[in-house]
Amino acid sequence: MDHDEVLEQLELAAVEPGGLDRLTAGDTAEAAAIAGHLAGCPACATDLERLRRSVPILRDVIRTTPSPELRDRTLAFVREHGVARVPQAAPTVSAAPARPAPAGVPQPVANARSSMVMRTMPWVAAIAAAVLISVVATTAIVTTAVDSRLTAQEDSIRALEYVTVSTIAITGEPDVERVALESTAGAASEGTLMFSPSTTELVVVADGLTEPPSAQEYRCWVEVGGERVNVGKMFFADELAYWVGDVPAVASLPAGSTFGVSVADVGGASLDADPVLVGRL
Amino acid sequence: MTSPAPGTLDDAALVREVADGSHDALAVLYDRHGDAVFASASRLTSDRGLAEEVVQETFLALWNRADTFDPTIGSLAAWLHTIARNRTVDRLRAAGRRPTLVPLSSAASPEHGEDVPADALERVMASGSIVAGAAPVRSPEMELALSELRSALQDALIEMPEAERTVIVLAYGEDLSQSEIAERLGWPLGTVKTRTRRALARMRQVLGSGVGPEFARYLAPVRRADRDD
Repeated sequence: MDHDEVLEQLELAAVEPGGLDRLTAGDTAEAAAIAGHLAGCPACATDLERLRRSVPILRDVIRTTPSPELRDRTLAFVREHGVARVPQAAPTVSAAPARPAPAGVPQPVANARSSMVMRTMPWVAAIAAAVLISVVATTAIVTTAVDSRLTAQEDSIRALEYVTVSTIAITGEPDVERVALESTAGAASEGTLMFSPSTTELVVVADGLTEPPSAQEYRCWVEVGGERVNVGKMFFADELAYWVGDVPAVASLPAGSTFGVSVADVGGASLDADPVLVGRL
Repeated sequence: MTSPAPGTLDDAALVREVADGSHDALAVLYDRHGDAVFASASRLTSDRGLAEEVVQETFLALWNRADTFDPTIGSLAAWLHTIARNRTVDRLRAAGRRPTLVPLSSAASPEHGEDVPADALERVMASGSIVAGAAPVRSPEMELALSELRSALQDALIEMPEAERTVIVLAYGEDLSQSEIAERLGWPLGTVKTRTRRALARMRQVLGSGVGPEFARYLAPVRRADRDD
């Protein structure tokens, strides 16, 4: 089985929920052939991981994109079932009787007093909205294990999107600098750090980092004048570790400056541990 | 003196036009909010048919109750989102089903308008799988960039040939297997597979060109012709 055949099988399997797992863990001759190829082909194994990452994003977009025909159907539906209004209450308008408002549709409150309260105390509305979301979220999270798993996937998708758009934004800066981060221990981890001296925005992503030991975390830093300056704690989304934010120290870094990622105690100030990833400007 | 074109009016003015019976104004409001309403409903259910019915009922509610909308209380986007959410939950309850997802994204997306504080999203996200909890706070620029990325993917989906869009929507949107798609459409299985791969290639092209080389490398499989090996 060659590269193209493997990629074809992987792509088609990735479209189906759980398809990649079934394909790569199955006991069929085809699964064995693919597993054998993947074991000896890092490039195809990398493609498999890329598919695992991109499919949830594509699935979310496709699920939430309406068909182009829905617009015409919706407008026709309203013409057919909507209340007759002046001046369209002409004979050409459907004579179908107006339906009562669907149950559950909230009444837009036009009460002057409550309106005034909301305008003068916006935090009341904010808290109410927050409580509502928390209740909805909590209810859904505790309902079933499936819901929890889907929620976790949703979180990861949002985080990946966040890092993605951050990358888009920073790569749009004319003075963007890129630094490749390489493993210091010969591990499979690697990363990329991007920053803009003019905006001081910085994005760092790393792939292949194992989760840190308990009570420890990964920190990204930049070495300035022989001292390591903390950039931030790396978060994880799926298998991607990342940090995004503003780092004033990158405004005027000299050539040769070093960036790194080290394990540090949670909440600790020390950045002295040997880096697991390092790169030089 | 001529009236301004509906497309130049803000939401509140358009709702007043709808209350006066303007279907043109309703069409403009659909163009502005229809996608977000559908997204809101479809995140609560994997049933696209149900989500489409919710869109229709939401805009019917807008038409029927336009005269009760008060823009000083909240945005039209938030109002429509609330209607859509309630209608979806009602439908799911009636069918004995539960919402499939916490609407995290909708909590921070434009369809919620300005009525939902960002920290609510943070609290919700903190319960998820992201290690270390602190959720990203998106700036308006980030929201715009994210919106553009999704728009690019949506455009690719909408502009692809209908046969390709059909197979990929059935696969991703309705969780049908390739064999089930072939059976439903009456197409040979090989045709379904070919069209699925073409559709994926178009989407991948957007991922590759729309998110920069770092994430193209991270997300999109590299074509053999582009490889060094």
